[in-house]
Amino acid sequence: MRVKSWLIVLAASLLIAGLGHNQAHAAPYEGYTYNYWGDAVKSPIAFLPSRVITGDEAGTGAWQSPLDLYAAKDGLLYVLDSGNGRIVVLNEKWETVRVIQNFKHDGKQDNFNNPEGLFVTEAGRIYVADTDNRRIVELKQDGTFVRAIGAPESEVLSDTFEYFPRKVIVDKAGRIYVVGRGVFEGLIEFDSDGRFTGFMGTNRVQFDPVDLFWKTVSTKEQREKMIRFIPLEFNNADVDDGGFIYTTTADKNTASAVKRLNPSGIDVLRVNGEFAPVGDLTFNRSSFVDIKVSSNGVYRALDSTRGRVFTYNEDGNLLYVIGQLGNQIGTFKNPVAIESYGDAVYVLDRDLGRITEFKATTFGSLVNEANRLYSSGKHTEAAKLWQEVLRLDANYEMAYVGIGKSMLREGKYKEAMTYLKLGNDREYYSKALAKYRREYMREYFGMYMTIAIGLLVGVIIWRRIARARNERGIGDVVN
Amino acid sequence: MSLIKELKYSLHVAVRPFDGYWDLKYENKGRLRVALLVLLAVTVTMILKRQFAGYVVNDNYPLSLNSVNEFKYIVLPFLLWCISNWSLTTLMDGEGKFKDIVIAAGYAMLPLILVNIPNILLSNVITLRESSFYYLLDSFGVIWFVWLLFIGTKTVHQYSVMKTMMTMLLTLVVMGVVIFLGLLFFSLIQQIISFGYTLFQEITLRE
Repeated sequence: MRVKSWLIVLAASLLIAGLGHNQAHAAPYEGYTYNYWGDAVKSPIAFLPSRVITGDEAGTGAWQSPLDLYAAKDGLLYVLDSGNGRIVVLNEKWETVRVIQNFKHDGKQDNFNNPEGLFVTEAGRIYVADTDNRRIVELKQDGTFVRAIGAPESEVLSDTFEYFPRKVIVDKAGRIYVVGRGVFEGLIEFDSDGRFTGFMGTNRVQFDPVDLFWKTVSTKEQREKMIRFIPLEFNNADVDDGGFIYTTTADKNTASAVKRLNPSGIDVLRVNGEFAPVGDLTFNRSSFVDIKVSSNGVYRALDSTRGRVFTYNEDGNLLYVIGQLGNQIGTFKNPVAIESYGDAVYVLDRDLGRITEFKATTFGSLVNEANRLYSSGKHTEAAKLWQEVLRLDANYEMAYVGIGKSMLREGKYKEAMTYLKLGNDREYYSKALAKYRREYMREYFGMYMTIAIGLLVGVIIWRRIARARNERGIGDVVN
Repeated sequence: MSLIKELKYSLHVAVRPFDGYWDLKYENKGRLRVALLVLLAVTVTMILKRQFAGYVVNDNYPLSLNSVNEFKYIVLPFLLWCISNWSLTTLMDGEGKFKDIVIAAGYAMLPLILVNIPNILLSNVITLRESSFYYLLDSFGVIWFVWLLFIGTKTVHQYSVMKTMMTMLLTLVVMGVVIFLGLLFFSLIQQIISFGYTLFQEITLRE
């Protein structure tokens, strides 16, 4: 009987404890980050879905397999409704401003044929990767045709080269970069006049010693049946304010799923942490399908394996993870494109034909703001916000590092060491240690030397006495 | 000899191995209890090292630290070395008895303690840039240990230099074979047990 009543109390307390977590259950996914050792650590949710919109709700009829999204600088949201071959432009209140269905080209009506990529320049020019028409189309903001850029023509291209542009980006100088389907040479680069100038940022061939071994022991016939080593193709790209191009690769085994190409096509992505930005560190790795660079070097990559958005800062540290595959609001079925505008993040779902908007929670905006201050070098201001972050998430390693660095600058070496150790930053811990050690020695050197000399003198005297006593003892025996 | 004297003698072996190992075997100065004490102390220092080595050189994940692991990495290899070395040298007319081998190997591990304990203390005050000193000392301890093991094996079995080196390499191979046989044995036992259990189930369910 007593046991039973205890059980009831236990069950009731469990129930109450369960109710207490209401807040966390409101989100359709869990927040987490990775710690220094690559373990997933729970973290507060940084972004929550605020609103969703489908084609019907936008008043344009359902969107059929929309493939790309672009948030322009003026706040307009461009949706590439690929299945219907049109562009839908929404304003910030998500009312349809314009629908670009077809355009006049050489006096004739022209259409898109299964376009896959969309880009809008600051001047409002719309670039569309019109995939099955094998061309890039440039339109004015109101949808009037400007020009079409066809397949690249060059002697360096082989006769079998098939041109299917999938994604397009345009940098500030007007150069056009195209991600082509099955193009392993890198991004196809056109100058501002639309002339093909070359490839850039080729991925390196993946090399595997095991494969090499099998290649060397197999016969010629066997070798011909094996898959060939080819560089990986890019699947998406974005350009930041400084003209650097961020690219993604869908391959699950590469360590450089995200690249940051400088104008000469060399990867200059900063990887500060223990792990490169590759998404989930699990056996079944993430495969990125889109990337968006937002302000001060923060970039977000969209993973199609689990439908998650990974946000990294310019040092390559994972800030937070949002989203998941599923069928609630805030989760996706087949996410294909990501955009951000202001503090909002938009994810386009191809199968549901739906855009989900995410807004930062208290935690998310704290992290964003702290990271902004931190990356612009305002460590002291950032440290205050990092303290706030730690109150919400005591496992947030970056916050410890941020506070530690600011303390290091203020000369609080001992405290800095504590924080840097918690944040697992050995390099800066070591710097703090060196400074602390010097300070410590300056203060206590005299004392330690006194003790050492005192001990030395003591030992010498003790030995003398012992020897004297011994001699006397021996003398006694002799006598 | 008292234990203190025996321990002092083990230090002598570490510094003057030729002389020390000779006396160890032919003057009967080696003690099994000292060898086992050294083994225990090495295990403890390794645990201390994992736990208390300075943060700059200590890359261990605190949640994965487990003292039982040290048995896997120190005690078991030690026993395996002694058994393999003994089985090999009886065939290769070595003069050492099993006890001699255990004593020789045990005394040889002393440098690991001598180097590791000051090294743990040192590692707590060095920076990342100075960490190469830590690794230098660390490898110095290991080289010293291998050197002592070499002299020990040579003296105990009265081998030539080449033969000692061959024996040591072969011992490693034999260790591998022993591990392989052990695993094979356990796997077979497992299969026999599961066969027996299936048979038992089959019979009991039949009625």
